[in-house]
Amino acid sequence: MSALRFVVAVALSGAALSAPAAENNKVTLQNKLAQCQGCHGIEGWKTAYPEVYHVPKLGGQKAAYIVNALKEYKSGERDFGTMHAMAEDLSDDDMKQLAEHFAAQEGKSAENSPPAAGGEK
Amino acid sequence: MRRTAKGLLAAALACASVAALAASGDPEAGMKKSAPCQACHGAKGISVSPEFPNLAGQNEDYLVASLHHYKDGHRKNPIMQGQAANLTERDIHDLAAYFSGQEGLYTKE
Repeated sequence: MSALRFVVAVALSGAALSAPAAENNKVTLQNKLAQCQGCHGIEGWKTAYPEVYHVPKLGGQKAAYIVNALKEYKSGERDFGTMHAMAEDLSDDDMKQLAEHFAAQEGKSAENSPPAAGGEK
Repeated sequence: MRRTAKGLLAAALACASVAALAASGDPEAGMKKSAPCQACHGAKGISVSPEFPNLAGQNEDYLVASLHHYKDGHRKNPIMQGQAANLTERDIHDLAAYFSGQEGLYTKE
């Protein structure tokens, strides 16, 4: 009986511990997303140096492509200082979650679907 | 004096036309040149595989910069380096004008 109580107590404390952990994880992802949005969430935002051009739009982009790009920035294979700094601290799971956030289709991207076969001109 | 003015005018016009050439491509010409791109990126820039990025609606100058980076080897990708190797400046601007003009990507706020 007391063994059962112990098991219940352990299970409850485990649940109590995991709840704030999940909450922290959510906050962290929001913070990471905020870093992306500092440039990619602003319409018309441009790079500063050494070349100046508009940062790519990510809304409606393919998730697997975004993950690959982040991995290449992290490893340095794709060479861009700002994105290397951003990707350096991201785990594979962070990359996946961020990519899925940007890839998710919304009202604005309703037309972002493959054109009907044979309907091209 | 008059000759100087004419010279200045000619120089100014030359600069303006060079700037115009660099700034914008011809989307119609880009569409005609886009057949090789379409195999992976789709007819209107919505790609056929999750590995390949959508190009539809992407910022024109970002597409230009990307093609330059592939062409000069700064950005490494065997497929895209091969594709970009033979593109002229005109081709790059025309293709960027075509794909950026399609409906697709957007700035997610």
